[in-house]
Amino acid sequence: MRKVITLLCLIIGISWAAAQTRVSGTVVSGDDGQPVIGASVLVKGTNIGTITDSEGKYALSLPAQAKILVFSYVGMTIVEKEAKTGLKVTLQTDSRQINEVVVTALGIKREKKALGYSVQELNSDLNNAKESNFVNAISGKVSGVQIKQASTMGGSANILIRGNKSFIGNNQAMFVIDGVPVDNSNTNSTDVADGLGGYDYGNAASDINSEDIESISILKGAAASALYGSRAANGVILVTTKKGKAQKGVGISVNSGLLFTSADKSTLPKIQKEYGAGYGDYFDYADINGDGKDETIVPTYDDASWGHKFDPTLKVVDWVGLDPFDKVNYGRQVPWVAAKHDIRDFFETGAKYSNNIAIDGGNEKGTYRLSYTNVSEKGIMPNSKMNKNNAAFSGSYNFTKNLSFDSNVSYTNDANVGRYGTGYDPGNPMQSLGQWFQSNVDINDLKQYVVSSNGAQRTWNYGDPINGDLSPIYHNNIYWTRNVNYENDGRNRLFGYINAKYKIAPWISLEGRASTDYYSEMQEERIAIGSNQTSKYSKYLRTFIETNYDVMLKANRTFGEFTTTGLLGVSRRRNEVASTYAYTVGGLLVPGFYNLMNSKSPIFTKENDELLGVNSGYANFTFGYNSFLYLDLSGRVDKMSTLPSANDTYFYPSISGSIILSEISALKKFKPLSFAKFRLNYAEVGNGAPAYSTGKYYTQNTNWSTLGVFSLSSVLSNPNLKPERTRSIEAGLEANFFEKRIGFDLSLYKTNSIDQIMPVNISRASGYNQRYVNSGEIENKGVEFSFNATPIKVGGFTWDLRVNWTKNVNKVISLYEGVDNILLTDSWDISLNLAKGQPYGILRGTDFVYTNGKRTVDATGHYLYATNTDGSNKTDCNLGTVLPDWTGGISSTFSYKGLSLYLLVDISKGGKVYSVDQKYGVATGLFAETAGLNDKGVAKRDAVTAGGGIKYDAVYADGKVNTTYIDADTWGTAWDYDQIPTAEYVYDASYVKLRELSLSYTIPAKLVKKTPFTKISASFVGRNLWIIHKNTPYFDPETSQSAGNIQGIADGAYPSTRTLGFNVSLSF
Amino acid sequence: MKTIIKSFLLALVVVMASCDLPNNIDPKSATAVTSDVLFTNVEISLFNQIGSVNVNRNVFRLLSQYQTEVTYVTESNYNFSDRTLPDTHWGILYRDVLANAEETKKILNNTLFTDKQELKNKLAQTEVLEVYAYQMLVDAFGNVPYTEALQGDANSRPKYDDAKTIYYDLVTRLDKAITDLTADAGSNTFASADVLYGGDVTNWLAFANSLKLRIALRIADVDATKAGTMITQAVASGVFTSQDQSAILHYTGVTPYVNSYYTEYVLNARRDYVPSNTFIDKLNSLNDPRLTSWVTTSDYYGGIYKGLTYGTAGRYSRFSHFVDGILFNPTYPVIISDYVEVEFLLAEAAARTLGGVTGAEQHYNNAINASMTYWGVSSADAATYLSQPTVAYTTAPGTWKQKIGTQKWIGLFDRGIEAWNEWRRLDYPTLNPPAGMVYSDIPVRFPYPYNENKLNGTNYAAAAKAIGGDLTSTKLFWDKY
Repeated sequence: MRKVITLLCLIIGISWAAAQTRVSGTVVSGDDGQPVIGASVLVKGTNIGTITDSEGKYALSLPAQAKILVFSYVGMTIVEKEAKTGLKVTLQTDSRQINEVVVTALGIKREKKALGYSVQELNSDLNNAKESNFVNAISGKVSGVQIKQASTMGGSANILIRGNKSFIGNNQAMFVIDGVPVDNSNTNSTDVADGLGGYDYGNAASDINSEDIESISILKGAAASALYGSRAANGVILVTTKKGKAQKGVGISVNSGLLFTSADKSTLPKIQKEYGAGYGDYFDYADINGDGKDETIVPTYDDASWGHKFDPTLKVVDWVGLDPFDKVNYGRQVPWVAAKHDIRDFFETGAKYSNNIAIDGGNEKGTYRLSYTNVSEKGIMPNSKMNKNNAAFSGSYNFTKNLSFDSNVSYTNDANVGRYGTGYDPGNPMQSLGQWFQSNVDINDLKQYVVSSNGAQRTWNYGDPINGDLSPIYHNNIYWTRNVNYENDGRNRLFGYINAKYKIAPWISLEGRASTDYYSEMQEERIAIGSNQTSKYSKYLRTFIETNYDVMLKANRTFGEFTTTGLLGVSRRRNEVASTYAYTVGGLLVPGFYNLMNSKSPIFTKENDELLGVNSGYANFTFGYNSFLYLDLSGRVDKMSTLPSANDTYFYPSISGSIILSEISALKKFKPLSFAKFRLNYAEVGNGAPAYSTGKYYTQNTNWSTLGVFSLSSVLSNPNLKPERTRSIEAGLEANFFEKRIGFDLSLYKTNSIDQIMPVNISRASGYNQRYVNSGEIENKGVEFSFNATPIKVGGFTWDLRVNWTKNVNKVISLYEGVDNILLTDSWDISLNLAKGQPYGILRGTDFVYTNGKRTVDATGHYLYATNTDGSNKTDCNLGTVLPDWTGGISSTFSYKGLSLYLLVDISKGGKVYSVDQKYGVATGLFAETAGLNDKGVAKRDAVTAGGGIKYDAVYADGKVNTTYIDADTWGTAWDYDQIPTAEYVYDASYVKLRELSLSYTIPAKLVKKTPFTKISASFVGRNLWIIHKNTPYFDPETSQSAGNIQGIADGAYPSTRTLGFNVSLSF
Repeated sequence: MKTIIKSFLLALVVVMASCDLPNNIDPKSATAVTSDVLFTNVEISLFNQIGSVNVNRNVFRLLSQYQTEVTYVTESNYNFSDRTLPDTHWGILYRDVLANAEETKKILNNTLFTDKQELKNKLAQTEVLEVYAYQMLVDAFGNVPYTEALQGDANSRPKYDDAKTIYYDLVTRLDKAITDLTADAGSNTFASADVLYGGDVTNWLAFANSLKLRIALRIADVDATKAGTMITQAVASGVFTSQDQSAILHYTGVTPYVNSYYTEYVLNARRDYVPSNTFIDKLNSLNDPRLTSWVTTSDYYGGIYKGLTYGTAGRYSRFSHFVDGILFNPTYPVIISDYVEVEFLLAEAAARTLGGVTGAEQHYNNAINASMTYWGVSSADAATYLSQPTVAYTTAPGTWKQKIGTQKWIGLFDRGIEAWNEWRRLDYPTLNPPAGMVYSDIPVRFPYPYNENKLNGTNYAAAAKAIGGDLTSTKLFWDKY
């Protein structure tokens, strides 16, 4: 505890006394003899002291009575020496790590051993592989944290800590930088989340610049995060930024990377190469070239591949030859063959350049760090690029011995073009390429012939070309989609805080902090005239402001064997989100002109202005006894504007304790044990309501001429809402053996979230689609286990191994008013639900009838469907949860002198994913499995009477194996989704991935000394290089539409992206 | 020291207590509106749903076989679950139409009117639309929530009421509206906000009586006595006497207030439906001159009118299409009740000798002539048509049911919902079951919303049991034959 005070005092200020003698010396590390920078040197029994500079040197004026100097550094043993000048003090690494300090809630540094809850830290291995959305870099490295990465450029990362706690509300972890909340909103429309199309604009926390991150602490349970209040119920990602270091002169570091990205072909469908365009076997015939004879014309209007068998001797006119404005190709006849270039040739090699320069320095009065980063990225599809600039400044200054301040400001600007359209939408090239396509259409042709000489789109999917209708019937040319119908967006963001500390007395200080997170963003989307949808231009403008003011009184006292700390704080939070979304209506007037005024009908505008506030008070007291027993008590009271005034104030407590088992005398004798701790905690967190969910509103629709048109809001408000509550209990055991060579950390937890505030779907016969309720309970029980070991440490060679494993069991205990199912979303025959007694996210749809566990067919060889008592198909069979059974990660670092190899394998077991792509890809005869030979060696597409067709892998009702072949030669036959229950397209989402690989080399200090640099390192990095195992056909089981609660439906899924490149860091 | 702690505690109290929180009222949503703006919405929502050709909203033109799907023949083959069509139809009627109508009435009742007749008229206008919407619900599903419906918070899981009981209560409500609708001096109705009639009470009265006439004949097979009384009353009070009075909404032509054909075929460039063989073959066989107004000829089949075999896939370009100058016009109107329909109803009343109506043939002719005129056919051509033995009332084949049923089906062209209703009741014309199906597979009922099972399970199950199963083959109470 004294150390904490000492550190605190150091930060607060360094006092200078009169009548002094001056001493100086150096502090070095016992490990390598290198200087220890920033070590604390204190005059014992006083607050007088300093820290060592970049060469480990210190100089100090001693008060008259001073005798002993205390030398300390985080993670090293404390050394006391008699004060004299010229001392060279060697600090040894503290294997019992009793001094390990971690960052906890509100940015308070605490001794890790004193904590009664689980905090996991990530430092060195955080950004090995240079992930631009740093959230993705956490995947697989921390137990209890599940991250789902988007396969789109700049897409959202979904981050869940210890499971889904809210039915319908936000389940994403909270982000905090240096103790200050930072927004992680997702502006994606519900359409994007539901897979109905749009763009994934990413999660706002991706603005956090990974180059400025020093370390990350992950607060998983409510006890750890309770001081942050409501928003921390889903766990907290605490980011500590890099700060300037006290040193001689100016430290400069430069970090440059170049990464290449490419589509992982194993996550793309295989296209059949035997049959071409059509919903059946036919062509059209007309005289296109005017030679008096009819040519054979490809049915361009069919977006399927059930057509005529390829035959190079047959000459056809395809879509390229049907554009009368293309004088060269009009009427040209080409052999009827499969496309040479298919979906696999569409994706390009992307590249990402990142450059960072940071300057830092400081002295005993203060420190500073300036950093500038540019990341520019080109995606794997045409016309996709992102550019991000980030400038950050952090500084601290000690005005007097008692008054100090520190501040951090960062500005981010990003400008992006051509994000990937998602979901079942023409904006997503995968809708045509991966679901509805003709196997004869060559990607190179699509690339070459995009726009006709009259300015119109050229597409393979002409409506009725023989009769002159060359407009796209269903699909755009994917290059038109990418190059003409593109989006662009940008964001300017300023984040910063100022923190002032005043030391009232050696043991008590007052701290004030003001912070703001302010950004404005803009999104523009286009659908050009001549596309397959009504031409449209939309603009979305949004500003977000969050301000927080905190005032805290902190005290530390030691009474004999007892140490105590106290914290009292108040805070005031205000959020204002204002947005305007407007779009053209009825089409555009002038082609290629994207302006809201260029609208045929009056534009549609939606304004939103959301203001909410929370006033809070909080307190935290800790007691420690003899470095053996610790107890933490905290409480917070919130008054939140979004709740009705009768229920707007709510209190929640937490209590946690820990016992350092290794201090027990019986265990002290057990030499292999270095450290062991048992911890236990209980906490509650309250949460308010979304803004404006308590009042009654009317929705305004477009005017009918000059008449107003309003309707009742489709969501029924609830004026009696009360706060939500999450209660959690957690126990943990951690231990190290053989001087940290082996260690583990085990946590068991149970979290119950009750009285959830949510809009639930209700019978529309009630007059509303949804109503806000305050009901239900969801439980998360889990085990987190992390294990680390250094199996080999010989000579200069070290192998560090880390394993983490998480099992979270989620269960919906109750919903509301006896309702046992809440629909989260549905599309066609699949729905995602909350079901009583089941884990979060149950897929429902039609299912097979099973006989002895095997799918059952009727006498005609067609599948039987599970039915209701009245004989209709059951549309609500439980097809499994989208949540994994367990997740884990295994990482290994092999280092030899300056050379280090890092490998991370990320594992997810279980959970389901439904594939719309697969359903349509086979129904349209596009995928490889729909062609080729059946098990009799006859073409599947031949008639059953000729030995063709396929038979389902099933049994008859009597249990005998199915031997009936059915036709599989055209749309609507054996591969059709009307013949096959939903369950067919539900897959196991397990995966094992080689997530990260990096090989880095740091040039030895001895060699560097001869250069102007202080440190030189280079690394070769790779991400998502190999999906070692998956059970899904083609697509990546990790695929998702967006971050959020809607998961487990793959629709228009992009291939996952492999990243490979190198990185160079220089310091001087 | 103490002062600092004291001042800190004081600051705490100040922050918690006196620092005002923002209020929780959405500045960008209206908290109070006039009854006018809601009433306009009720009218538009009702017409939009009835007129829609969006495959996600309204597939009744497939059920009545005016048209069929070209490629994706799922709905033509009576699979409605893929797009949860019943949920949409039900949701729009309950929420967009009925809930807003109830809210309109609530606001009216809370408004002070110096002219009491104004309140009565406005309530009655709203009530007629509510009765219309409820009849649509009953006709589609059978038993539906009624007494416990539209109660919002008070009951989010309303029980279903017996279809016939609802029907009879609708008649009572309609009667009250008819009594209340009174024209007097001054504009004391929903006037400009009434985008259907501009507040014309006479037209509203005719619409209400015409609706009453429709309901009367709908129950004629099960309760002829009541039907007879209702017919007498409706005719005496005044049903539509010309197409000018009909309940037809003309769109402004400015998106989103454009006809749904325009949205789908022109704006969205879809080509999902063509006229079915059922429709074109029937009209071809009768040499119907309205064909020219409705559909194009097929070049592929040598310039004839050619429909695609109902329920099978085919190529859009090969078959007759709807005439784009008429149906794809953004202002192409939606009919929910018209003079043509009224004359057919009167013809049927006469044929059934109900309500003192006579002259079945005259009414039959009036109906056909009115339809011809509406669709721009000359009176000479209409006369030629009517003079054919296959058409003329006296000589046309079959019973009155077949004669009226067939001609009414043609006269109700493009009004999928009403055409399907009347086909179920009159059992003519003979439709074509899709390949692989039999005649009895053609739905005679719309299945309940798939979500009702999940959101209102107990009541759903009870209702399904009460009507004889939530099946498309379960007949409604008025569908006796």
